[in-house]
Amino acid sequence: MRAIVAVIKDTFSLADLPLSERIAFVAFLVFVFIFPWIVHSSYPRAVMINFLLFAMYGLGWNLIGGYGGQVDLGQAKNVGFGAYATALMITWWGVPFWVTVPVGIFIAVAESLAVAYPMFRLRGHYFAIATLCVALVWQQLFLFWDWTGGARGVELPIKPTPNFTFMEFGTVGYHYFIFGLFTAQFLFMNWLRKSKLGYELQAVRDNEDAAASLGINVTWTKVKAYLITAAMGAVGGSFYAVYHLYIDPRCVMHIDLTILIAMTAMVGGAGSIWGPIIGAALLIPLDMYLAALLGGKGFYGIDFIIYALIIMVIAAREPRGIWGIIERIRRKRLIHAAGGQKST
Amino acid sequence: MELAAQIASSGILMGFIFALIALGLTLIFGVMNIVNFAHGEFLMIGMYGAFLTSTLLSVEPLISLPIVAVVGFLLGITSYYLLIRYLLRGPMVAQLFGTFGLMLFLRYLVMFIMGPSPLAIHKGILIGKTVSLGWLIFDVGKLTAAGFSILLFMLIYWMIEKTKLGRALRATSIDAEAARYMGIDTEKMNAFAWGIGGATAAIAGGLLANFYYLTPTVGMLFVMIAFATVALGGFGSIRGAFLAGLIIGVIEMVAGQYLSQLKISFVYLAYFLVVVFRPRGLLGW
Repeated sequence: MRAIVAVIKDTFSLADLPLSERIAFVAFLVFVFIFPWIVHSSYPRAVMINFLLFAMYGLGWNLIGGYGGQVDLGQAKNVGFGAYATALMITWWGVPFWVTVPVGIFIAVAESLAVAYPMFRLRGHYFAIATLCVALVWQQLFLFWDWTGGARGVELPIKPTPNFTFMEFGTVGYHYFIFGLFTAQFLFMNWLRKSKLGYELQAVRDNEDAAASLGINVTWTKVKAYLITAAMGAVGGSFYAVYHLYIDPRCVMHIDLTILIAMTAMVGGAGSIWGPIIGAALLIPLDMYLAALLGGKGFYGIDFIIYALIIMVIAAREPRGIWGIIERIRRKRLIHAAGGQKST
Repeated sequence: MELAAQIASSGILMGFIFALIALGLTLIFGVMNIVNFAHGEFLMIGMYGAFLTSTLLSVEPLISLPIVAVVGFLLGITSYYLLIRYLLRGPMVAQLFGTFGLMLFLRYLVMFIMGPSPLAIHKGILIGKTVSLGWLIFDVGKLTAAGFSILLFMLIYWMIEKTKLGRALRATSIDAEAARYMGIDTEKMNAFAWGIGGATAAIAGGLLANFYYLTPTVGMLFVMIAFATVALGGFGSIRGAFLAGLIIGVIEMVAGQYLSQLKISFVYLAYFLVVVFRPRGLLGW
């Protein structure tokens, strides 16, 4: 009983974070909650939904990439498994959405488990390239596999009325749907980062040998994080399928998706709970604005040129992203304040 | 039998080019222990360089090779001084993302300038010609590319093994700090390795352009092939890269014969199996 209470407390408590951050986060939640009431045009609403989706993707990736320090360049395949499980089961057999989600999670986790053990014999670059290899194999398979619709993709049947079995509704419905998923995932991550696994993972990231000498099973810790990340990606993919009602290997399996997911976490600040949210808040509106501004005008890839510049500057200057900059400023202020007190 | 011989020989021809591509990557990895995701983009820029010089100046694509080599060399050195130098001070995650960013930047810059649709060089003494040796048929472009690859590979191998510059480079790769105490400017050696990497990749691209379609996204394919090659040969091993290039060339060609759409997946699979089961590769330490 006490253990359950402790888990619930850890899930909802942000007590270890400064008051300013807690206030900002609550304000953020309130803002997102009332957003559909104040904004009525469909485009900003779509941006908001996309932002929440990518914040969710980023939170998932942040576990293995940020807290675990393992550069996983294959998250798109997990999103793809979720999206395809949902899309295909709904189109073929009319299975309710809520049944397809666990199936998607199961496939993503099973596949990740199958590759995880050989993969985690590798470190650093070798691991990153191996994840990329596996993801690219899946991308190719889904592009050429007629069984899953190949490059044409899958179109989901459109229901005439809002429908909770297949989770199809108007923009506002999707807004609260993704908001719910995002909040659930945030709370889960909030619990996880303070759990035994969370601390073990950070220990492994900071020094694998030291962590092993403290009795932490390094490989198993990484594998657990890898599987949880996979499951989170699959949930996002399932949402993507019912939200867009169309998927193809370019939008849910593609390496570009992996890049965007990893970037939301990296730009915002990998290894911090706020990082992915900040990253998504910056990148997704930028991405959609650029797409709307330049789409169809023959400017190809200008969005990726901008991303690439951001990545390079961040990697060279502040690998801990925007959150790293904020923390650095805060530390400087703290030192200033301490110095000021000493002199008086 | 004839088919098998044809496949194997075509695979080996491609393998020489793969070896040339892998050479720069393994050199960079050996000297400063950093993986260059942008390596394929150097190659892609080499392809576009050959395309642009041969179509705009209407010269033979082979003549554009020296220009392409210089462009590649400068590109490598510039990347080193503007970006890689700073990445080397950071954690490994930053290094990975930094070169990944460089890859995206170059790819989409070319796409922005040249457009996303595939291009091809249509004029040139090597384009579309074949030569038959007995019952084996070879594409002249591939044959020439393989010949140049072998020559260049030997040249660079000789430079690294025999010249003073090469010795300094090897010293840097074994122990950068000790090399610095010996008076070697390791910063320059790093930049030089990047220059060689850029130049060889760009030349490989210039050779490929004779018989391969140009798209801005082609680099990803070749960088993955190069990773597989370098892993198979042993990270940092130059002779290993040569041997592995040939093997990967044959794998790619055999897989292409039976599962043409998925052939590149077999190269990825090869990387995966090699790093998992024999992380030091064939000839690595």
